[in-house]
Amino acid sequence: MKIVVLVKEVPDMESKFKIVGDAKIDESQIAFKMNAFDEYAVEAGLQLKEKFGGEVIIISSGPERVSKEIRQAFAMGADWGIQVMDSQVDEGDNYVVSAAIKKAIDSLGGVDLVLSGVQAEDDQSAVTGVMIADLMGLPHCTNVVKIEVGGDGKTMKVNRELEGGFNEVAEIAMPALLTIQSGINQPRYPTLPGIMKAKKKRLDIKKAGEIGAAELGEAGSKTKFVKMFFPVSEHKAEILTGDAKTAAKTLVDKLKNEAKVL
Amino acid sequence: MARILVVAEQRSGKLSDATLELCKAAKAIASAMGAAPAAAVFYKDDSLAKEVAKYIPEVFSVVDAKLEAYNADTYTEAVKAVVAAQDVKGVLIPHSYDGVDYAAKAALAIGAGIVSNCNKFEMQGGTLVLNRNTYNGKIQEQRSIKTDKFVVTFEKGAFDKEAAGGAGSVTAVAAAISAPRRTTKEIVAMMAGSVDISQAKIIVAGGRGTKEKDKYNDIIVNLAKKLGGEYAASRPVVDAGWTDAARQVGQSGKTVAPVLYIAAGISGAIQHVAGMKGSQCIVAINKDPEAPVFNIATYGIVGDLFEVIPAIMAELG
Repeated sequence: MKIVVLVKEVPDMESKFKIVGDAKIDESQIAFKMNAFDEYAVEAGLQLKEKFGGEVIIISSGPERVSKEIRQAFAMGADWGIQVMDSQVDEGDNYVVSAAIKKAIDSLGGVDLVLSGVQAEDDQSAVTGVMIADLMGLPHCTNVVKIEVGGDGKTMKVNRELEGGFNEVAEIAMPALLTIQSGINQPRYPTLPGIMKAKKKRLDIKKAGEIGAAELGEAGSKTKFVKMFFPVSEHKAEILTGDAKTAAKTLVDKLKNEAKVL
Repeated sequence: MARILVVAEQRSGKLSDATLELCKAAKAIASAMGAAPAAAVFYKDDSLAKEVAKYIPEVFSVVDAKLEAYNADTYTEAVKAVVAAQDVKGVLIPHSYDGVDYAAKAALAIGAGIVSNCNKFEMQGGTLVLNRNTYNGKIQEQRSIKTDKFVVTFEKGAFDKEAAGGAGSVTAVAAAISAPRRTTKEIVAMMAGSVDISQAKIIVAGGRGTKEKDKYNDIIVNLAKKLGGEYAASRPVVDAGWTDAARQVGQSGKTVAPVLYIAAGISGAIQHVAGMKGSQCIVAINKDPEAPVFNIATYGIVGDLFEVIPAIMAELG
């Protein structure tokens, strides 16, 4: 089974965010990591490979440092990868990124399955996976929490998470694209031998032109970034100060005498 | 006149609250853009279209047996048919599990740009500008859409629900709906359990910040017992298997509204907040002073929950 897993690099959300010129975050202050939802997708891909054979190919887009996340997926067990490294792609919106990733997948000459995280932790748009599926003409399923590939290797039974603790059980023909929700598995940690092997695995670096991606940058985007800012909340909690003991004492007093909920 | 079109959402024939919220949004956006608010309803008959017409002046109804349950392929075809038949400028879709499953596909089908997970809009010099959360709600960004038509998904609760009362028109739109490539076999309940946390008066919920199963049990479960309440969790705790799914609060879990909700080590992602914001009194304990949970809490303590909760236990005696 030829499985592609799409991986995105995101800031660690516990980083200290600073905004530069209303337009971007100060990346020098940020620790980057693999999008958590993509780790579940990598694990799902590896488990399918272990069962059905084949290969797991990682595709990511972004600057040079993104190779760290791709190599992390290699260390988990993925076979090789493609990194689209082109500022013209990075400067585009999710349509531009989707179109470029689609071209990178096309360069593999047919795949059985494409997996991605349900959304990126940073932009939280949940758009790219569905767009790539549509651009490729593949059926898709989002929010997948369970995958069972049929005995014929041509169809899958998947559970799609719904609101309020329900799952839709659906059947989908392969090739297909699935976006993977957390909780589907426990992503494995890279082993030391895995980390050593990862350094030697093949990582193809591609410019947009080399994969034939033509809709690029702001010109190719269908949306336009205006600005970013820290939200001003209309409501803020009453922060109880002091050390843990003092704050706890104030809290219990307030819960009993002010909010009257104890 | 160009329409701002809400695509209605239903499960088992019942309209979602998000649909009624988007009726409000469509009216506001239409008014700001000099357009008309409308809705599209896809179902096995026109009963739901008639229902939606109580909330919005104009409804386009696509009727086909294949539209009884939501499906990405069939919904995209239906959106395309309505946009082809009518003058539609913008399409509004709930940022729900179904909404995100097809919104981007529908956008491509009608040649529109999409901005998803929005919570607010404004007009800037005649251009629609959308606000959306990024970086786990720590930063807001604004985007506009360059294409002639646009698709926007709005997060739940971004608008109040529209009240029923109108008597809008229902117009049938013909659409050839193909057999979908993904077929629904069944809808199953995943959170059956002996406990119903939605009935609890006091809930102590732990998140990723509780670090590990033993610590979650030590801290969260014990405080809940001491307060005579129930313990609960945000998604990462359930994903990690530290407690069972029946205790998960949030969009994909239970919705609760206790008298007291203590959120410990929970950042306050929108998906969690969706399940607990109706609580009467919310206490947030988190070491990150910028955690969004402090924006909805009544009382907040910025600190290490492993110090603060034992101190609360001691104070309770």
